[in-house]
Amino acid sequence: MELLSNLYTGFSIALTLNNIIYCLVGVLFGQIVGVLPGIGAPTAIALLLPLTFKANPTSALIMFAGIYYGVAYGGTITSVLINVPGESSTVMTCLDGYQMALKGRAGAALSVACIGSWIAGTASIVLLMAFASALAKFALRFGPSEYFALTAMAFGLLTVFGGEQPIKTIISTMIGLLIATIGLDVVSGMPRFAFGVPQLLGGIDFIVIICGMFGVAEVFSSIEEPEEGELLKSKLHLRDLFLTWQDWIASRWAILRGGIIGFIVGIIPAGGITTASFLAYLAEKRASRHPERFGHGAIEGVAAPESANNAASISGFAPLLALGIPGSPTTAVMLAGFMMWGIRPGPMLFQKNPDLVWGLISSMYIGNFLLLLINIFLIPAFVAILRLPYTIIMGFIVIFASVGAYSVNNNFFDVWLMLGFAVLGYLMRKLQYPIVPLVLALVLGNLSENSFRQALTISGGSFSIFFTRPISLIFIIAAILAYLSPVIRWALKGLRHRTDRSPKLDSI
Amino acid sequence: MRLADFIGGVAVLILGLAVIFFSSQLTYYSEFGPGPGFLPLWVGIIITACAIYVIVDLLKKHDKTGEFFKPRTRLGLQVFITIIISFLLLPLLGFAVGLALFIGVTMRMMGKHHWISCGLTAIVTAIGIHFIFISWLTIPLPRGLIGW
Repeated sequence: MELLSNLYTGFSIALTLNNIIYCLVGVLFGQIVGVLPGIGAPTAIALLLPLTFKANPTSALIMFAGIYYGVAYGGTITSVLINVPGESSTVMTCLDGYQMALKGRAGAALSVACIGSWIAGTASIVLLMAFASALAKFALRFGPSEYFALTAMAFGLLTVFGGEQPIKTIISTMIGLLIATIGLDVVSGMPRFAFGVPQLLGGIDFIVIICGMFGVAEVFSSIEEPEEGELLKSKLHLRDLFLTWQDWIASRWAILRGGIIGFIVGIIPAGGITTASFLAYLAEKRASRHPERFGHGAIEGVAAPESANNAASISGFAPLLALGIPGSPTTAVMLAGFMMWGIRPGPMLFQKNPDLVWGLISSMYIGNFLLLLINIFLIPAFVAILRLPYTIIMGFIVIFASVGAYSVNNNFFDVWLMLGFAVLGYLMRKLQYPIVPLVLALVLGNLSENSFRQALTISGGSFSIFFTRPISLIFIIAAILAYLSPVIRWALKGLRHRTDRSPKLDSI
Repeated sequence: MRLADFIGGVAVLILGLAVIFFSSQLTYYSEFGPGPGFLPLWVGIIITACAIYVIVDLLKKHDKTGEFFKPRTRLGLQVFITIIISFLLLPLLGFAVGLALFIGVTMRMMGKHHWISCGLTAIVTAIGIHFIFISWLTIPLPRGLIGW
């Protein structure tokens, strides 16, 4: 019953004309951003964040959420039609989606992607409603030691999902923590790493860093290595979008499995929508009776990752709203938004701002439905956007990034700082230092450090506080395992190597 | 690329050592628990250790992985310099005109568009910035000497 009354509260807010417009603008913008290569959801939201300072936080968040899940829909179009992922979360869709398009089945690929996304997305919202409030109730028991352990686990998990070079992931995380310490220390009031520069005493604003590292840095990378693909010349008709009965039979389990995998991965800190789509594709291939069809235009190969990335973009709101811990760069940027409006997400948010929580969650039903309609009727319009010259898009990014950076404190110092971070982001990307860990460590740095210090103050300096409280202990163990994952992986590899060789040794 | 990666590693190493140096001047442990220097010191130590690993790992490997400079890196650098010049001009010209100029110049530089279309885009951009950011969103952006 509580769920229904929450839903009623939510819809009474989400269904006001003002919020429906915000939602529509969000999903349309998300769809466009998804189509455009070189600009992703975190960049788009970061660039718009400074402009929404005066807006109602609930409305602005409805719009940002719309961008987030809208991007997952939009990226599909380029993956299918030109074999260039509009978003990293739609990389897996290229494999089978483009093959389907080559066989003249682009319509079916786009259709199964958007219907699958809609089914998985809507189911995820239902789960999110139940799970997020349960998580918030559970988190009411969290003290400083749990929060520190939780952030430590999130940083550790970054090394699991961070890619080939775990050491570089750790360096990136540490630099993020370091940037978070710049400015006055809240506990002692002492300045740290400000070097007498007055603008640095308040710390470096998150928006400035995001605008630089995701926005302008991406511009430099795109100029250097443009992602160009050739648009398939075939015209899309509405009737091409209808799925055959066989398509339905083939993709129904893929949508279900993809949705479940996506929901779970989205909740894990540092999981994110790209990992979700990746894992869903691999799982589907493994579950299939005909794995050889994958990569040659199997419709399940489109349905699974697309359902997963949308489910993950929705379930990612659970840790953000209930714990105040973002799991992906996009939710990290949204956390910065919460801070800008002076709202602290976490267990108390559900009691203090139920309107915001349930209004936001209910708006996702509306947004996903709008996206379903948009993707059935407006695809040609978004294909037209692909013809926009990159110089214009690039110019927009630079304009929004510099206006955004300036408007944070109304000074030029931040504009230059933004450019500095753009150069740093560009160089890091080039030398294969991942950027996402830096950003997550940056937003969580203060929470992590302050809870660490508070916990040790409570315990009178004894580290046992982290190991004697059960929830904290579980998180700490998970964190240690996560940090050791490269070593474990290396050891397993060695072991497998040896077992591979052993039959040969026997035969000698 | 190996050299660039090596320089990157050395830069990280210097950063790590600098962090250790500066955080050792902060209070490491106060009577109420860890002080402001506690976390930065450990962060510095971890950065230094990881940087040493990266450098040693590079010295052991001999495979070549791609070039640092790509054919279009020069173009990226030109755009970067244009951004710097536009930012320097922003206090004089104001955001609307300064950034519009940036768009016009980079369009000409990158896309080889006709200078008339570059000029038109620049004018539309200036009008757009003025009305969207300054008039509609009332962000107090500097308007420069022209007052726009």
